[in-house]
Amino acid sequence: MKNQTLEDAFGQLEAVIGRLESEEIPLEEAFRVYSEGMELLQFCNASIDAVEKKVLKINEDGGLDEF
Amino acid sequence: MKHVYSVTQINSYIRNMFTQDFMLQSIRIRGEVSNCKYHSSGHIYFTLKDGKAAMACVMFAGNRSGLAFRMQEGQQVIVDGSVDVYERDGRYQLYAREITRDGVGLLYEQYERLKAELAELGMFAPEYKRPIPRYVRTLGVVTAPTGAAVRDIIQITSRRNPGVQIILYPAIVQGDQAQASIIRGIHALSTLSVDVIIVGRGGGSIEDLWAFNEREVAQAIFDCPIPVISAVGHETDTTIADLVADLRAPTPSAAAELAVFELSAVEDRMEEYAAALLRAMLERCGGYRRKAEMMAALLKVGSPAGRLKQNRMYALRLEERLQAAMRDRLQCARHRFALCTEKLKGLSPLDKLSQGFSWVMDESGRGVSDVELAEPGRILTIHMKNGIVRARVEEKEKVIR
Repeated sequence: MKNQTLEDAFGQLEAVIGRLESEEIPLEEAFRVYSEGMELLQFCNASIDAVEKKVLKINEDGGLDEF
Repeated sequence: MKHVYSVTQINSYIRNMFTQDFMLQSIRIRGEVSNCKYHSSGHIYFTLKDGKAAMACVMFAGNRSGLAFRMQEGQQVIVDGSVDVYERDGRYQLYAREITRDGVGLLYEQYERLKAELAELGMFAPEYKRPIPRYVRTLGVVTAPTGAAVRDIIQITSRRNPGVQIILYPAIVQGDQAQASIIRGIHALSTLSVDVIIVGRGGGSIEDLWAFNEREVAQAIFDCPIPVISAVGHETDTTIADLVADLRAPTPSAAAELAVFELSAVEDRMEEYAAALLRAMLERCGGYRRKAEMMAALLKVGSPAGRLKQNRMYALRLEERLQAAMRDRLQCARHRFALCTEKLKGLSPLDKLSQGFSWVMDESGRGVSDVELAEPGRILTIHMKNGIVRARVEEKEKVIR
């Protein structure tokens, strides 16, 4: 699940929910699919960084200062 | 009481003010040509404008010798003429005597040339446009560190998603150093591997925006491995940078809107997903549970215990039937017995005794109904209603009946 984008994760979530809702899948499979969905959600949550950021500015040496 | 004037009088008065103004009678004005119309009468009507204002102009056919080129939209010109009032409409306008190209008009030409050349090279082609990632986490900005552009970008970004990291390259966006500065900014930000870069500045004259019309800047944007959103000036200013960028935003604010996703919307979406996932799973589990219950019920019926129970029930039912049948039989027998008793009663000889008849027996207990048997001297027992008489036969007489 590394290196994927939020957009991909959302797409996969749609697919997972769709399978759970419609397909006749065995119970074990349903649990596996469900936990996959929960993992995807966790990934989404983790990749949305809601911590407020300070604007950074590139200085003359190519380093970063607070703006 | 104040005097009341007609519109004509006032327009005439104002016109008079204009014609008496020495400066307005011979003036040179620089501006950009727009709405240019060559009328069939030979007059040329156009609007002269700059970033903030516009003015109606006319060059009468009689003054056409003062114009050595064909005027076109967007050309920078210097108009020599007078400003006068057109009394009928109450409008003032510039009456052109001579029109010359301004140096900036040459810039425009240069712009058109470069645009045509780069278009020819395919640098504006849609297949080279990289998609702007939808969920940007780090936003690079190349613009002046002061001014409305950077302020707008920061404000809109923090409103939509305060979690997005902005990295600003404080660039010089106008003047001689602008070109090199903008290019350095694009390079610096691409080495920091930001998700998207906004390159831009606020509005200004064509000279102010010129760096964004230069080949080197266009090339830097084209070569940039990271998607670039251009945001130069106002909606109406289209620079070469705008054409070559992966996405053109009409203003810096709009660029931030396009680049930065709204955090709250994504959070809502995730909540919806979580709920849908749980709902689907619960539903599925419920389905399985119902199925399991049904199976359990079926299994119960087929189990040895179930079968035993069924057999027991059957036995019970049989027993009931047996008993009921037996009861019926007994009832029937009892009934018949009663009937027989009644009948027997009717036939009992003892009953007849009450009606005055008697029952005669000999010593051995045999009934004596024939006179032949009653020999004189024999002891006979006579049964009556309420007792027994022992009698001796004295004589007998046979009667024919």
